Amino acid sequence: MADITIAPDLWDANINPEGIIANWFYADGSTVAAGATIAELMVEKTTFDIAAPSAGILHIAVPKDGAVKPGTVIGTIDAA
Amino acid sequence: MSSNRIMTVSRAISEAIAQEMRADPTVFIMGEDIGTYGGIFGATTGLLAEFGKERVRDTPISETGFIGAGVGAAMAGMRPIVELMFVDFFGVCMDAIYNLAAKNIYFSGGNYKVPMVIMTATGGGYSDAGQHSQTLHATFAHLPGLKVVAPSNAYDAKGLMISAIRDDSPVMFMFHKGLQGLAWMASPEGAASELPEEAYAIPFGEAKVVRPGKDVTIVSLSMMVHRSLDAAEELATQGIEAEVIDLRTIVPLDRKKVIESVRKTGRLVVVDEDYKSFGLTGEIIATVAEEDPTLLKAAPQRLAVPDVPIPYSRPMEQYVLPSADKIVAAVLTTMKKGA
Repeated sequence: MADITIAPDLWDANINPEGIIANWFYADGSTVAAGATIAELMVEKTTFDIAAPSAGILHIAVPKDGAVKPGTVIGTIDAA
Repeated sequence: MSSNRIMTVSRAISEAIAQEMRADPTVFIMGEDIGTYGGIFGATTGLLAEFGKERVRDTPISETGFIGAGVGAAMAGMRPIVELMFVDFFGVCMDAIYNLAAKNIYFSGGNYKVPMVIMTATGGGYSDAGQHSQTLHATFAHLPGLKVVAPSNAYDAKGLMISAIRDDSPVMFMFHKGLQGLAWMASPEGAASELPEEAYAIPFGEAKVVRPGKDVTIVSLSMMVHRSLDAAEELATQGIEAEVIDLRTIVPLDRKKVIESVRKTGRLVVVDEDYKSFGLTGEIIATVAEEDPTLLKAAPQRLAVPDVPIPYSRPMEQYVLPSADKIVAAVLTTMKKGA
């Protein structure tokens, strides 16, 4: 199992304490490929793509519109 | 290659453009904030990084200049995509659009083609007032020489954009801001959709029955498809089976599919986010009446913006925009009349 973690240095949390999940590009339980763009975050007016850390079954922990911070685990991927 | 990706409309559009740019070196894009910013509605995200400044050109705020430049580039053999940030801004570049792009194929006896896409954002519902909230579908559909496209979901947006780029005529590609899947503007369930990885073209002039039904035909496009589907869901709980048609393209218009559906249901409700008078809703009703007025068991109903500029105030704006509740009421009105 691999955690999908928002990189701790993705943005400066002193300036913008949190962002949100703008979109998940796969449904919970979907099979995803390693490196696939699986989610999009929005912080202020900037968006960041999140890539799958490994191949497998996606489990979503933070839903669309949920708040996230640098370091948050937004989901996991189970080896198929 | 199929895919289980559920992509937003904005990503579908940028993916379509990227795939066509890879396949055809004459395709390029220009407009305001389409480079570094990626388009204020996300339709060009990622293109600058892949294709560079020559093919992804940020322009000054000068639609008169860069839309005109697009017409010239198209006539000189390129395939430009030009973004008009909000359709509401067409006033300063309309000569290039309707007197040059739309007419030069005719004026040159077919010797010049104008393979240009004018991509533009439409629609309201988010309190952006009267100069940033119009759809203006009929304004462009009215003018001979322009093709007009207005998708309701990501799958259609990708396939229609690819057809638009490959088309030898100027195409108005009108995407609704509220369908783009942007984090700062809610979009309806169903706007994002499963999106194949490969490039595919959806032919113009083919409407789609997005919900079959036997009692009444609801014809709509763009955002109003989602309002119509919500209405159909509610009507189903009352025992009324509405057939919902997504026109997808206005020029060319799939009149045949509308007539076929009304022949079956005998009742017609047309929903458009554009102004009511002299527009798409009247055109659809006229299409049925010209075919055979006896197809209709009751007077047709139309829902559109009631001929006023879109208000800024949220309650006032919501009052003038068609909604699922208003569509339900219109269907119930038409169901009461006739046999």
